Amino acid sequence: MIMMQLTPELTRSADAATVPEPPKIEVRNLDFFYGKTQALTSVDLAMPAHAVTAIIGPSGCGKSTLLRAINRIYELYPDQRATGEIVIDGQNVLEPSYAPSKLRRCVGMVFQKPTPFATTIRKNVAFALSYYERLSKSELADRIEDALKQAALWDEVKDKLDASALSLSGGQQQRLCIARTLAVRPEIVLLDEPTSALDPISTAKIEELIHALRQRFTIVIVTHNMQQAARVSQRTAFFHLGELIEVGDTSQIFTNPHVRRTQDYITGRYG
Amino acid sequence: MPIRRRIADLAALLFATGATLFGLMWLVWILWTTVSEGAAAISPALVTQMTPPPGESGGLLNAFYGSAVMVMLALLIGTPVGVAAGTYLAEHGRHSRLAAVVGFINDILLSAPSIVIGLFVYELVVRPMGHFSGFAGAIALAMIHLPIVVRTTDEALRLVPNQMREAAFALGVPGWKVTAQILFKAAMSGIVTGVLLGLARIAGETAPLLFTALNNQFWSASLAQPLANVPVVIFQYAMSPYDEWHALAWAGALTLTAFVLGLNLLVRLLARRGNR
Amino acid sequence: MSPPPHLAPSKGAGGDRLFQLVTVGAAWLVLVLLGAAAASMAWGGRLAFETFGWRFVTSRDWDAVSGQFGALVPIYGTIMTSVIALLIAVPVSIGIALFLTDIAPRWLRGPIGMAIELLAAVPSIIYGMWGLFMFAPFMAAHVEPWLDAKLGQLPVLGAFFTGPPIGIGLLTASIVLGIMIIPFISAVARDVFNAVPPSLKEAAVALGSTRWEILSRVTLPYTRSAIIGAIFLGLGRALGETMAVTFVLGNAHDLSLSLLMPSNSIAAAIANEFTEADTELYRSSLVALAFLLFVVTFLVLSVARLMLARIGRAHGRTH
Repeated sequence: MIMMQLTPELTRSADAATVPEPPKIEVRNLDFFYGKTQALTSVDLAMPAHAVTAIIGPSGCGKSTLLRAINRIYELYPDQRATGEIVIDGQNVLEPSYAPSKLRRCVGMVFQKPTPFATTIRKNVAFALSYYERLSKSELADRIEDALKQAALWDEVKDKLDASALSLSGGQQQRLCIARTLAVRPEIVLLDEPTSALDPISTAKIEELIHALRQRFTIVIVTHNMQQAARVSQRTAFFHLGELIEVGDTSQIFTNPHVRRTQDYITGRYG
Repeated sequence: MPIRRRIADLAALLFATGATLFGLMWLVWILWTTVSEGAAAISPALVTQMTPPPGESGGLLNAFYGSAVMVMLALLIGTPVGVAAGTYLAEHGRHSRLAAVVGFINDILLSAPSIVIGLFVYELVVRPMGHFSGFAGAIALAMIHLPIVVRTTDEALRLVPNQMREAAFALGVPGWKVTAQILFKAAMSGIVTGVLLGLARIAGETAPLLFTALNNQFWSASLAQPLANVPVVIFQYAMSPYDEWHALAWAGALTLTAFVLGLNLLVRLLARRGNR
Repeated sequence: MSPPPHLAPSKGAGGDRLFQLVTVGAAWLVLVLLGAAAASMAWGGRLAFETFGWRFVTSRDWDAVSGQFGALVPIYGTIMTSVIALLIAVPVSIGIALFLTDIAPRWLRGPIGMAIELLAAVPSIIYGMWGLFMFAPFMAAHVEPWLDAKLGQLPVLGAFFTGPPIGIGLLTASIVLGIMIIPFISAVARDVFNAVPPSLKEAAVALGSTRWEILSRVTLPYTRSAIIGAIFLGLGRALGETMAVTFVLGNAHDLSLSLLMPSNSIAAAIANEFTEADTELYRSSLVALAFLLFVVTFLVLSVARLMLARIGRAHGRTH
């Protein structure tokens, strides 16, 4: 009991010591269950603001699960549940009384497979925006342009905003999904393997995008591509079988991992 | 290979081909009859004159009108209820007992004898009203249209990938908006297909109209009175001993068949275009 | 794979609450409609059931004048026409399914499949008219005399095939009904034949099996539940079919064993006589018939649904 009480304290303080400013997201003692199966065990993880944190690990290690806990999207499925805390700006967002819709206003998510809505490009971007805010026509147009520019898609679609979103290529669709997420001006953006379904050129474009975005947002990216994690992130967390094995600065994790398992994964021993 | 096995195989081949030709033969015979008998009776009078008294020739104008009105009203009543129930089955109730039971019952209603539906509406509407009416006919048709829309809406919504639901919810938008604006739009072609198939089915239904709308010899635009309609006119005229009535019945049969088959082909075309 | 998302009402979203209410209400309406239809038939038929009791089902009488009504003739006609229709439709449907999944060249499968499905799209009243004006005379001229002559003289079987060649009758109605239900059964059969894992068929081919052997030893056993479900579905449809049968069955009130003689079915009796029923008892008897039909159809369709849902095939058919 004492050991268990000590360990979270240790990790947290150890983790906090390496993060210069207070973390944007703090995961505390998170357990996650799919029915009876436990997918995450006692996860403690801090993610800094205005930085990209990469979550890596072999398939089934729980990295997507963690992401989906942060914006409570798992609540759509009755047999999935999470216990513990996820504190964002001092507020535990896992508390039932905290409305998920409020949470999702400041935490956006982009999924692995581009999922444009079956409507025009303009309406895709404006969808959530027109629900949240009362904007005049010109304000709305400005926000749409702003979002598309941030997603590096504006130049390619500015002349065809009323075309169907389905007419775009895969890479463009994914950037549209990013624009859609950015339009409501969240503070945190969760990316769940955003480029695994895309070609290398689109992947490169999106990685550039992530680089530019971290000035304004806090980004958490799940990726099975270690090189990508190394390229885009400042902090990296390595998961295995539902547990956080090691977290630290990206450069340290990839050049000098402290834990054996991390090293085995990085060097391709398994996974 | 022993000759016995080879014969069995050949027999299967011949039987299957024969069975297909058998089925097609009936289709061709029925359509050919409808076209040849009906074409002879097609004339402009069909759409300019009313149903005639025995022994005289005339048209089917009041029948076309009555059918059109009742079918449209049935669509107006049945489609919203069907879409709502189908939405429940696909979105809210996938884990509930109610959804399982409703899905089961709906499938039974889908194939239930339409004459029973007609009698039910008779007891429900015609009896209290005291007389037959186009309104009762529309309700009976709506009851036949309903399960079709429920089924196709349920299926169309289930086909929408979960990822799209998650993407919409992840934007923090409430459930009803996700369904109404995103899911319906994605499932729209499936839902429309269902409505069109329902339309094709109820346009040709006779039995439920026999005790609800019955028929009306004269021009009547009132839904509160018996209303002429194509299927019942065909029924009455075909069973009669008058040649002129037989001719009109064939003309009605041809237009009805052309309408229904045309709709079916249209639906297939739309489905194929949507899949591409 | 995780189960699909679930629209939980979020707190404070009145729109969600209302939407849920509307959709649940519509779902309940479907239930209520079926229940009300059943109750309505039971209620309408109670006079007949009270008056005649069990004799209603066993009596051959059908006399409006004396007020004696019995369901035996319509029940007999309904069952006979449906059974014979199935005897025709089931082998043909399986044959068609085999043709469309295995024998026909790929470019032909679409058009022919569509043509067979058009058989289901044709309104039943068209079947009735064609039956009355084309098929019944054909039967009377070419088939029934032959049947009467060749089979009518045999000892036991003969009773089924004697009679004047009028065309209208059980056999004609059964054939028309059989044609009508072919597309329903073959559509299901075709879908499940296509769903048999190719590896199973390929293994059989590798062992040198013929087409017939693959069908009888691999495909049919694998799809057995679904085929039975399809048969029940066709039966359910056949039992309730009105217009196709009314034209050519004859509306007879006498029970006769011969297939060449006119008969009656529950649906046809109701269709022909309901608007003329002038006494409460007469009407109630017809509604009682409807109730019986409803109960039997409900049971048959339930079995069909159970068999078809079990193999996950709860989709597609809208007629």
